[in-house]
Amino acid sequence: MEPVAVTGRSAARLVVVVALFVVVQETVAIKLRIAGIHPELMLLVPIAAGTAAGPREGAIAGFVAGIAIDLLLPTPFGLTALVGCLTGVGVGRVTGSLTREIPWFSGLVAFTASAGAVILYAVLGAVLGQEQFLRVDLVALVLVVAVTNAVLAPFGMRIVRWALGPAAHPRSAAGSSW
Amino acid sequence: MLILVLLSLSVITLDQSGRTHHITSGIKSLASDIFSPIRSGVNGILDPIGNVFAGAVHYDSVVKENHELQLTLGRIRLQDDARGFQLRQLTQLQRLLAENHLPYLQQLPTVLAEQTDAGSTNYAATIDIDKGRDDGVDVGMPVIGAGGLVGTVTFAAHHSATVTLVTDGSSKVGVSFGSGNAYTATLDGQGPGRSLNADFVAPGTPVRRGERMYTNDLAGNIFPGGIPVAYVTAVHTTPGASQETVEVQPLADLGALAYVEVVQWSPSP
Repeated sequence: MEPVAVTGRSAARLVVVVALFVVVQETVAIKLRIAGIHPELMLLVPIAAGTAAGPREGAIAGFVAGIAIDLLLPTPFGLTALVGCLTGVGVGRVTGSLTREIPWFSGLVAFTASAGAVILYAVLGAVLGQEQFLRVDLVALVLVVAVTNAVLAPFGMRIVRWALGPAAHPRSAAGSSW
Repeated sequence: MLILVLLSLSVITLDQSGRTHHITSGIKSLASDIFSPIRSGVNGILDPIGNVFAGAVHYDSVVKENHELQLTLGRIRLQDDARGFQLRQLTQLQRLLAENHLPYLQQLPTVLAEQTDAGSTNYAATIDIDKGRDDGVDVGMPVIGAGGLVGTVTFAAHHSATVTLVTDGSSKVGVSFGSGNAYTATLDGQGPGRSLNADFVAPGTPVRRGERMYTNDLAGNIFPGGIPVAYVTAVHTTPGASQETVEVQPLADLGALAYVEVVQWSPSP
């Protein structure tokens, strides 16, 4: 099936959804700490977009979500956008060739992609001179972020799917188990 | 997709470059100023709800804590009589310090700030406070509270700021310790929640567990002298090593910060 372009309406809805994710991340999620680590809900945006609509939409959603949260983080500006972009592309490419009939598909994708994104973020940060990113407890960080995103993936995917509108339908209609 | 990746890299380059960092810093400052009232509003709605649930779940511990607070209050009232004597002692100590030309913090102006969040990133040990440039808080200023040095202001918006804690992996604090503060070391942060390492402690240096370390005002240090920073928790001497292995814990209880003071001090150029 031919990919459907992201319309202006979809783009506006994506901006609204990203703003909602930013508010929830910065007010609720950062207070929910497990072993001192809080969930990283913003990663759900590129993961959901990549799964629902493909690598291009995943990249766009990851960039928008990343640059939005980068505005409020003390980390290098643009780093979350880069990681979000690459995560969206990666998820879009990998899930495009997978069957969606398996149970907990969205949770498995979110778990794996979140784990990869956390490690990628730490490594890229270190490459950019932030060696302290590798001094955090990466195992705990990966586990907390991956598990919380896996649990919340069905909700996140529904919201992002709504935001993308027609662009999300070609792939999600083909037997998605959301 | 390639365009977005290149755009991200361009933004990072702008942020990392010394000449253009002020552009991204200004954008972040504006975003922080816009988001602060939203955060306060949402927290104002959600916090009471959270407190209701927390109170219901932890009712027994809340009652116990209340009893402990009443006990503490009673002790403070008993100690009140002795306060006059202690104040006289404090005045004498301050005079003594001044006579010895030792710096002490009471001479420096401070800004009282409340912690608003315990850090918005998992990759760095930071806290957010509710005072910013309009309140006299600026990048590089030391932050104290809860018994010692807390960290340094690393980002300041108009009405909020971010403090990087001494435990952060990027933190380095020059300290003095020992009799007459004769010995120096550099405390190296090892990441959130972990002990700090005291570097450059020569083999044979008399250092013992429980020993306190204070900021020194040697040339190039980014803190004023005399601020209590940490205490020694472990000392290992490895034969043949070029330095002692010294682990320290921050004196400030970084997990229980509510209010902090930003010291309006900047290092000499």
